[in-house]
This record gives sequence, C-alpha cells and structure tokens, in this order.
Amino acid sequence: MTSRLVIAEEPSADPKKVTELANNLEAELARLIVGQKELLRDTVIALISGGHILLEGVPGLGKTMLVRSLGQALDLTFSRIQFTPDLMPADIVGTNIIREDSGRREFEYQHGPIFASLVLADEVNRATPKTQSALLEAMQERTVTVGTETRALPVPFFVLATQNPIELEGTYPLPEAQLDRFFFKALVPFPSETELLEIARRTTGNALPELHAVGDADAIVAAQRVAREVPIAEHVLSYAARLITATHPNRTELDSVRRYVRYGASPRGLQTLVLAGKVRALLEGRYNVAFDDLAAVAHPALRHRVFLQFEAEADAITTDQIIDEILEHAKKESPGS
Amino acid sequence: MTSLDLVVRALRGSDARSSALSYLVHAALGVAMWFAIVQVAARVVPVERRIQLAALGIPVVLAAVAIAWIATRPRPDALMQSADVHLGLKERLSTAWERRAAHGVMDDLLRQDALQHALRDRLVRAFPIRISRREAGAVVIVAAAALALAVLPNPMDRVLAQAQADRASQAKAANTIHDVQKKIAAAAKTAPVDPKVQKILSDTAKQIQDAKDPRQALEAISPAEQQLRQLSDPQTPARTSTTQNLAGALSTTNAGKAASVALSSSPSQGAEAVRNLAAQLPSLSPEERAQLAKALASAAKSAKDPAMAASLQRASDALSSGDLGTAAAALNDLAGQLDSLENQQNNDQQIASAINGLEAARQALAEQADRDAAGSPVSAGTAAGASPAAGASPAGGNGNGNANGNGNGSGSGNGNGNGNGNGGSAGTGSSGSGSGTGTAAKPSEELYVPGQPVPGQQENDPTPLGPGQDVPLTPYTQVIQSYQQAALDATNQSLIPGSERDLVREYFARLGE
Repeated sequence: MTSRLVIAEEPSADPKKVTELANNLEAELARLIVGQKELLRDTVIALISGGHILLEGVPGLGKTMLVRSLGQALDLTFSRIQFTPDLMPADIVGTNIIREDSGRREFEYQHGPIFASLVLADEVNRATPKTQSALLEAMQERTVTVGTETRALPVPFFVLATQNPIELEGTYPLPEAQLDRFFFKALVPFPSETELLEIARRTTGNALPELHAVGDADAIVAAQRVAREVPIAEHVLSYAARLITATHPNRTELDSVRRYVRYGASPRGLQTLVLAGKVRALLEGRYNVAFDDLAAVAHPALRHRVFLQFEAEADAITTDQIIDEILEHAKKESPGS
Repeated sequence: MTSLDLVVRALRGSDARSSALSYLVHAALGVAMWFAIVQVAARVVPVERRIQLAALGIPVVLAAVAIAWIATRPRPDALMQSADVHLGLKERLSTAWERRAAHGVMDDLLRQDALQHALRDRLVRAFPIRISRREAGAVVIVAAAALALAVLPNPMDRVLAQAQADRASQAKAANTIHDVQKKIAAAAKTAPVDPKVQKILSDTAKQIQDAKDPRQALEAISPAEQQLRQLSDPQTPARTSTTQNLAGALSTTNAGKAASVALSSSPSQGAEAVRNLAAQLPSLSPEERAQLAKALASAAKSAKDPAMAASLQRASDALSSGDLGTAAAALNDLAGQLDSLENQQNNDQQIASAINGLEAARQALAEQADRDAAGSPVSAGTAAGASPAAGASPAGGNGNGNANGNGNGSGSGNGNGNGNGNGGSAGTGSSGSGSGTGTAAKPSEELYVPGQPVPGQQENDPTPLGPGQDVPLTPYTQVIQSYQQAALDATNQSLIPGSERDLVREYFARLGE
C-alpha cells in the first residue's frame, strides 16, 4: 500500500515508483499465475498504458484467474461478463428500470457489469456484433450512454477480453475495426510441463495464495500519466514509424508482406507501439524508449492490426512471422547497426 | 561545457582513433593498388621512373584518405547513436543528447541515467579499434601482387635500358662534337672558316641531342659533313701538289735551294723564301738565272693549279728573257698564292678535324643503333607463310622472302601485305621479320619490296642491305660487291633521300677501292 500512497500523493510521480509498482504487481501476480511471464508483462503494460487487452487462448489457461488476481493485487473493482449469443447490450451497459417510491414511479438506472475498473469480457466473440459493439464503444469512449444520459466509466477502466481460437463455430469474429480498439492482443500459451506441475501443486491443496494489493486506482492513473512523459528520441520514433509502414503491402520492401498481408497496421498501431514502448522502458528502469522496447511490444501491438491474405493461411504464415521479418529487416536499417 | 559535451568529446576521440586506423587500412589498400596499377602499366608501356611514380601515389592517396576521414567525421547525434548501439546503452545517450536542452519531467533523470551508464562503460569501447579482415587481406594480396610485379622481370626494362643507352650514346656523340669544337677553338692556327665550322658542329650536336633515337641522330651527321666539305677549297690539293713540285724543282738549283727547303716546310715559309728569291734575282749570275728559269718552267709544266702554273711560267719566261722585274713580280704573285694556300690548308685541317669528330660521333651512334636493332633479332624469311594472303592470287604473295626492318620498327613481308615484324638494323642490314597480310601482288605490278635479297646473296643470309642505312658496322668482305651494286641501284630509287644519295654513292665507291 506504500506505493499507492506515494503515487497518489504526487500526481507527477517519481518514475521509479512506477517501476516499483509494476514490478510489485508482476511479482504479486506471479504468486498465483504460474509462468506466463510475457502475458503478465503485456497485461501490466496495457494497464499502465490505459489500453485494453484481448487475450487469445484455449479455455483453462488461467485467463479468468489472471483478471481476478489483477483486481485483488490492485484493489480495483472487478466484474466478469460471460459473452453468449443471447447477451444483450443492456446486459453489459445497464438499463433503466421502473422503481416505485412513495407511490411514485420513476425510471432508475441500474449499472451494468461494465461499471468496474477491471472487466473480464469472457469469450467476447460469442456475443452478437450488436453486443460486441456496445462493449467496444464503451472501451473506446470510456462512457456509457443509456437513454439520454451519458455516464462515465470508472477510472481506470481496463477491459480484458478473451476469445477461444479453436471453437469458432457459432461465434462472431470481431471485425478489423473493433480489433483495432484493443491496445494489445496477447496470446496465452499452453504451460510447459514444469509449469503444469507447479500449477498442480499450487491449486490442488487446501489453501490458495492470498494476494495483497500493491496499488490502487490512483496509483494506476498516476502511473499512466508518468508513462506518457517518457521521452523518445526522433530516430527511435522514426523506427516505430518504419515498423508500421513496413506492415503495408504497398509501402514495404519485404516480399512476404507484399504477398501475404492484406492490410497493414493503422496509425493507432503506431500510437500503441510508442506508448507501450514508453511503459516498457519504465518497467525496465529506463527513462527513454529504446529500439528494444518497440521490438518487444511489436507482437502484441501489431498482431491484431495486420490482416493477412488467404494465401498466408494456405501457406501457414502467421502475423507473428510477418512481424518477425519486419523487425529483422528494420533492425538492419537502424542507425549504428 | 556539460557532461554530455564531455561524453561527445570522448566519443569523438574514440571514433577518430577507430576510424583513423580504418582509413589507414583504406590508404594502404589504395597505395597498394596504385603500386600494382603502376607496375601493370609499366609492363604495357615503358615507364621510366616507375618507382618514383608509384611513390608519388603515396602522398596523394594519403591526402585523399585524410580528406575523406575529416569529411566523414560523424555529427554528435550520430556519435551518440552509434555509442548507444555499440555499448548497449539502449538509446540513452542519443535521447539524452537530443533532449539536452529540454526540461521535461524526466529529462533530468534521463540525463543522469545516460551519464551514469556512459561512465560505467569505457567510452573508448564505443568505437573499438578494429581492422576489417577482408580489407587487410586485400591489402596483403594487392601488395604482394604489386611486389611480385615489381620484382619479376619486366619486358619493358629492356626497352627502357635501350632508351637510356640511346640517350647516352647521343650525349656521348654530342660531347664528342663539343670536344672537337673546343679543340678547334683552342687551335694555335686560326682558320677563316672556324666560325662556320663551329656553327655547323653546334647545330649538329643539338640535332643529335634532340633526336628521338640514335638512328635519327645519325641522319644529322651526313648533311653536316657535306656542309663542312663545301667549306673546303677544291683547289687546295692541286696547289699543294704544285708547291711540292716547285720545291723539288728548286732543290736542283743553287739559288732556289733555300726556297726549296722553306717550301717543303710550309707554304708560308715557302712564300717568304720565294719573295727573298725574287729580291735576290738581280744578284744572281746568268747561269743561276738560267738554271732557275729552267726549274720554274719544269715546275710550271707539272703544276696542277692553273694560277700557280701561270705565275711560274711567267717567272720562267721573264728570267729567260732577262726581264728581272717581271720575273720578280711573277715570283711575288706566286708567294701570294702560297700564302693563300697556307690559309686553305688551315681551313682544311679544321674541316678535317670537324669531320673526324663527326665520324667519331657517327661511330658511337651507329654502334648503339646496331645494338638497338640486335635487341630484336629475327632471321630473314620469318615472314614466310605468315601472310594469310597465300593463294589469294596466282601470283602467290604468300610472304616468302625476307622482311627488311625499317630501323627498329616494323618489317614488311613481300607481296603487298603489310608486315608486322621486328628487327632490321640501322646500317648493318641485319635481318628483320614480318608477317605479311593482304592480297598478293599481281605479277605485272611494279612494287617496291623492302628487304629484297641483294644479288648473289643467299636468302637466309642474315645481313641484307637496308636501303637508307648509311653506316655499315659489320665486315663486308664477302658481300661487298653485291652490296655496292645494290646500294648504287638503290640510290636511283626515290626512297633514298636526295641528301643521302651522294653520301651513299661515295661511301660504297670508297669501299670498292
């Protein structure tokens, strides 16, 4: 709680405190989540960046546990929405109900589950596009409009949506424009054998580790503000722009991009790269963005913003492979290399 | 100066050291390549001072590389970026440098962090002193190749040695002529033609020195000799002979014995003695006068010079008739002619000295010209069959026969093909060779065929006569007659320059004597 107080008292916070908060948060989550270090890092980066994250992984890998643990570790309100085909927008954003008070009836707004700082949108691709768009609009605007009244969502507001990559029947895949609203798309890998053993040890006993809050809403908001102050040099910024440009088939020198990519990343992809790079720099204890930061966040930042042709699917080419190639190519062109 | 400026300065030093070594290797490669190029060029064309030329490239290459080194010194931001990469500073330095004047929330922290990391690392490591193995290997290979080219025998060395020998021989010939000039200038007896002789010799020496080769230098000698000969009076031998006859005739008389002795000694003393004799005529006895008149008549009869013969005859007649005055006047005329003969003899002596000097120069030049020609000996008849024109005409112009070299240059095959050949000596007529190409000549065509074997000479005789060659250096005892005839025939051809014809004729005429 110490870090929460310090950060809350100094809005223009000490960057070292942000690093400390992030490290503490990662350490705390790691007490419950076995392995998945990259996922934890991506989640923390997205949280401090103020973005939302789309988690893709088969069921049972701890996605829900991750979100719940995050709520505990940050002392934030948490809600879970299980997306199903019959889920309606009002089930998410809330609705007006008639309430009788002293013989007088009036509408009263009842908050939906989206009014929480941490929202787990489980299997988001199972809901209809109408419901999906209600969520995604709230994600983007950070407000909810019901009837004629617009209500602000809590600050911070962090959505972790999950989707199952294998059960696609009866699902409504998120359209490209909606995907772009997610800050990161993180893949939840299957644990290694060692990690599986550890999971078994930790979760089959009588007691589960109890998480302690290492920060709160104020700490997160302050950290978000501090993260945006991290300087980035012009040539590093140019590198980020080159990465984005290289994802476009009509602007790249890479044959694979020209052949396999249908659409490249949007300018929002560049914003994501830079902002995530800044947070990662802080997490690494630095006060500037490095090429390595951009390269490290390139996969989660771009993999849902680069859309492949059918030919790529036929050749079993993934966006991660394309991004790897872009990074390799950009590395050769970076100054001093 | 801020700490970042100090970092930039340190990086600059590190970069300068690192790039200096790299540029030195570039320079070494450039120098080695220049050496190699010069050595290769020296094998294609004669390059006289190739070592000096190659050495000249060193400062040029070093200067060019130094300029490039200075011009390509990186800017501070580029230095910082490179240092970030090389030292793994994660763009700390470059970002801090870019924001050195900024006062954002994190700029102070950023600068401190960058400086801490920069100081933790030794900045000299940012630009390590490294030599590209590939480039170093290239330097070694090119240097070895250049060295090998320099050490291995160079065919052009012979050409250069020949050119040097040519120049030395020309200088020697010119010096010989200068020595003659000095000798003439220092002679006790001066001759009226001395200034002309000196000028001819000076001009000739200059032409010899300016000539491109000994052969061309030789061409200056014959005209000079002709000019010198033209300065000589053709009557001098006749007068000398008349003087000797007079001395012999006078020795038989009592009165003329003293004059005879004086005439035998020199024309000038003889002139003085003849004047004394003219003065003594009145004191002579009638018998002595008759004896003297008879001797003078005898001398007049055998005199080859008409003027002297007339004077002698007039003196003899006057003595016989007792006209002593007329006899004395005739003897005084004779004394004047003897004085003139003295001058003519002096002239001839100087001219002879000059010609001897020119001949000595000719000898030196001819020897060198002969050595030049012998440097590429090819036996006669090597042109045979080299002509692809064989069979192109029934006349069979397939190049049988010897090719005659023109100087050091190309020979010609017979037929009307142009021969490419070596050999042909200046003056010696040593053989040349040529490979003829072209259409064979028709039988009726009258073509000049250089190097046609002289009559009576075997086809493979290695000493054909070359037209226009004026200095024989090899024994001609066996072929002199045929050479003489060939030379005299050749003089009738337009190929022989007019100025050379008389010389050639005279030369072979003398050989035949």
